[in-house]
Order: sequence, then C-alpha cells, then structure tokens
Amino acid sequence: MAMTQRHLASELPIVHRRRWGAWLLGAVALLAVVTIVHAGIRARIVNLGVFADYIFDPLIVMGAVNALMLGTLALFIATVIGFVAALMRVSGNPILVAISSTYVYLFRGTPMLIQLIFWFNAVPIMFPSITISLPFMAEPLVSTPTTSLVTPFLAALAGLSLAEGAYMSEIIRAGILAVDKGQRAAAAALGMTQRQVLTQVVIPQAGRIIIPAAGNQYIMLLKSSSLASAIGYLELLRVATDIYSSNFQVVELLAVAAFWYLVMTAFATAIQTVLEKVFPQR
Amino acid sequence: MNTAPTQTHAVSVVGVSKKWGPISAFTDVSFDVPQGEVVALLGPSGAGKSTLLRCVNHLETISAGRIYVHGDLIGYRLGDQALYELSDVEISRQRQKIGMVFQHFNLFKHMTALQNVMSGPVHVLKKQKAEAASLALALLDKVGLKAKASAYPSELSGGQQQRVAIARALAMQPRVLLLDEPTSALDPELAQEVVETIRKLAEEGQTMLIATHDMGIARDVADRVIFMEGGRVAEDARSRDFFTAPKSDRAKQFLSRLLPAH
Ligand SMILES: Nc1ncnc2c1ncn2[C@@H]1O[C@H](COP(=O)(O)OP(=O)(O)O)[C@@H](O)[C@H]1O
Ligand SMILES: [Mg+2]
Repeated sequence: MAMTQRHLASELPIVHRRRWGAWLLGAVALLAVVTIVHAGIRARIVNLGVFADYIFDPLIVMGAVNALMLGTLALFIATVIGFVAALMRVSGNPILVAISSTYVYLFRGTPMLIQLIFWFNAVPIMFPSITISLPFMAEPLVSTPTTSLVTPFLAALAGLSLAEGAYMSEIIRAGILAVDKGQRAAAAALGMTQRQVLTQVVIPQAGRIIIPAAGNQYIMLLKSSSLASAIGYLELLRVATDIYSSNFQVVELLAVAAFWYLVMTAFATAIQTVLEKVFPQR
Repeated sequence: MNTAPTQTHAVSVVGVSKKWGPISAFTDVSFDVPQGEVVALLGPSGAGKSTLLRCVNHLETISAGRIYVHGDLIGYRLGDQALYELSDVEISRQRQKIGMVFQHFNLFKHMTALQNVMSGPVHVLKKQKAEAASLALALLDKVGLKAKASAYPSELSGGQQQRVAIARALAMQPRVLLLDEPTSALDPELAQEVVETIRKLAEEGQTMLIATHDMGIARDVADRVIFMEGGRVAEDARSRDFFTAPKSDRAKQFLSRLLPAH
C-alpha cells in the first residue's frame, strides 16, 4: 500500500500555490491605469500632431543635448567634490570635519534654484573683474569683467555641481563606512600605505556599493538641469517654454520635453544597469 | 639603538602596555620569540591576545614599552626624550615582513583568490604581474587551493578562505606570521584543514605567534604557550609542560574548564 502510494506520488505533477492576492491587486491597478489613460485620450489633452511636429525640432534636440551635457558634467564634478568632502569627513581631523559638514549642511539645506541664481548674480558682484597678471609685467595678462566669464552654463554647472556634491559626499561617506574595517586592517597588515589601502581596497569596494544611489542622483541631476532655465541657459525646458509662449501649445511642448527627459532617464538607467553587471557586489 | 636586545630574536616584546583611556588591554608584557619558534597565546576572551598581536605590527599603538621584530623597533623611532611614532610609509615598510592572519579571514571581497594572494607582491613590492601570479599559484597549490584560484571569497568555504588568507600573508615572505584565532570562526572539520596548513608551516620553520582557543594548535603545533589572563602573562612555558604540569592556578583552572578530566 505504502509502496504504491510512493510510486504514484513520484509521477504526479507538482502544483505550486498561486498568489491570488497579488493577481487581484494587479487587476485593480491595471483597471485604474486604463481608466486614467482613456480619460486623457478622450479629453484630447495632447494634440499628437503638434507633439510629432516638435519632437525632433532642432531647438528641442539641442536643448535635450544641453541638459544631458550639463547633468553629466555636474555629476562628474559633484563626484569629485563629494569624494573630497567625504574623505575630510572621515579623516577625524576636527577642522576638516567641521568644514566638510558645514559645506554639506549649507548646500543640502538650501534650494538648488536659489544656489543657481546666487552663483549667476553674486559672483560677478563679489569679484567684479578677473585679472590674471604675471610678475614683472606692467599690463595684466588677462583682465575681463566677471559677468562675461560667468555664462549661464558655467553658473549652472557650478551651482548644480556644488549642490549635488553635498549629496554625493554623504552617499560616498556611507559607502566608505560600509567597507568592513577588517578589509582595511588586512591591507595595512600587508604593508600597503594609507593611500594604497584607499585606492586598492576602499575605493573599489565603496564604488560598487554606491552605484545604485549614484544612478539615482544622476537621474535627479538630469532633471534638475531644468532649473538652469531660470538663469537663461538654453536647456530643454527653457527651449520648450520659449516655443509654447509664442504658439500656446503648452501641453504638447511639455509632453515633448517630458519625452526627452524620459529618454535621458532611460540612458542613465542603462548605464547603471551595465555598471552593476560589470562590477557586481561580492 | 643602544637598548635593542643584544641577541636578535624574531620578536621581542619588552614591558609593553596598552590602554585606551582608563581601559587597559594588558600591562607590562615581556617575552622573546627566537627565530623558528611557534608560540601559542592562550587565555580567556578579553585577556588582550588580539590587541597584543595588533601591537606587534602596529595596527594598534602601544602605551608603554617596546616591540622589536628582528631587531627593528616597531612603530617608533628612538629619540633622546621619547619614542616618536614613525610615518605611515615607514610603518608600512615594517609591516611588509610581518604577516597577519585574521579570525574572520578578511580576504579582499572584490578580488579572486589569486588576486588576493598577488595583492601584496604587486602593490606593495611592485613585482611584475606575471611573476607575482606564478608565485601566488604556487602558494595556492601549497595550501591545496590551486583549483580555486579564480574563485571570489564569497564562493569559498570558511576553511578555504582562511587558507587563501594564509597564502596571501606568505606571499610577502614574512619573517614572522601573526595569527589571531585562525580557526575560531570555523566548524571543527574546516578548522582541521587550517590546522594542517599551520602545522606544515611550523615544520618548515616559520616563526609564528598564534592567539588561539584551539588545543590542537596549542598542544600539537606550538612549541611554547604564553598564557594571558586579565591583561598579564600568567604563565610562559614549553607547550608540553603547560599541558601536563601547569604551574599557575589560573592556568590550571583554564585547562580544567577546557579539557574536562578524563
Ligand atoms: N578599541 C578598543 N577600545 C577600548 N577597549 C578595547 C578595544 N579593543 C579591545 N578592547 C578591550 O581590551 C581588552 C582586550 O581585548 P582583546 O585583545 O580583544 O582580547 P582577546 O583577543 O584576548 O579576547 C578587552 O577588555 C576589550 O574589551
Ligand atoms: Mg581576540
């Protein structure tokens, strides 16, 4: 009897439990999405013809390229600033710690928009002209009014990088602290100098840890580049605004801009995914 | 160095104390380890064994005394009035010849077993990669893990990780090897592989200082036992004598708890 049961059991298919709750929730969510999209289409909020006319408009594409450039450059500079600030913060030296935490507090604690406008307006007032002179020469080598140097692009880049550097420093600091102390002890015991411990062990491991958070920050920066429109930098949102203020196709042009932001986000996500594959956490 | 020990031992610990503020790890510890000797540091947990080992390669600073490895004063320069701590570069140079093996292995997680073993020769000694790789493979072979050369630490058992860690330390051809509870994080079976590896090194004459709770190491591998308790050396004896006829009451107590009477 027991024999036959065991024999039969080995031939029976195996049925796993179904997650009915999740399926039900999925169905409700899908219904909600369909309802909203349907309402939008029925109300004709977007004239697809106008949308198609502007999606590859040279000005729009240039604006998107400018946004991508600004956001990407700002990420690199912010990473360098953030790395230095994070090292200062974990250095244990009270002066360096104080400087670093004050920087983080100020730049994380004020709106990016204020910072951008500040750099654009305040720097030329603080330093009316920039003069580079060489010793033993009567005439300065270079002398320019600062307003002509602080272009909207530079002001935006400085503003975004400094603000973002404060966030990156916290992310990098968390990454450094997440590297096990034993890893550093082992490297030091081998005879590595502090610099080698940092470059051979701490940075490679912290780097892997911060990839997801840094990817998130990259996406945020790409979208924050739209703040530069406030100081006249010709990025995506500025271009779209300029166009719709003359033709009044507000929703279509915002949709065009949104489309390109989504493309940039997809690009950033792809980079992050590749990095996570190439440098898996072990 | 007028106060350097006259006869050069592999390790000389001279009146060393270690404190963190009011907390004392150990006080006035002295002993000499001749070249080729294997010393087991025994004692209950909190006795100061790990801290002492970490002082020998200056991972911890000391509060008093001196430590010499092959005649070199470790971590400090002898001035007229005081011992002045050496620079980072000078300390790392001293550590090159002092190997260390940790309780939790501490293999570099982002490197394969081979890369771990190569890391010292390549980054510290600036050896060519090809030369370092063949040395590393030979060492992995010696600890029985040549087949695991391209495995990452997360893909290895604890015993395998510890043997790679030993190979990594050996790649620097250390004059002294410090091992801090090398088997304590391992199941008995895996611990046995590591004990065998350590035994092999002992037979080759590698000088070792091993903090351990493993009686297999202390009784069968070590030549000598230094028994610490409450931050002091309570007994310093040949291994055989320590286990058959411990002199101090504390050692007797420690052994009776560890090895129930048969
Ligand atoms: N960084 C530290 N700060 C303060 N006290 C410490 C520190 N590290 C260890 N200790 C203390 O020093 C004593 C010796 O510790 P340890 O050397 O780890 O002993 P063992 O390895 O023999 O178990 C313990 O009382 C421990 O709590
Ligand atoms: Mg310990």
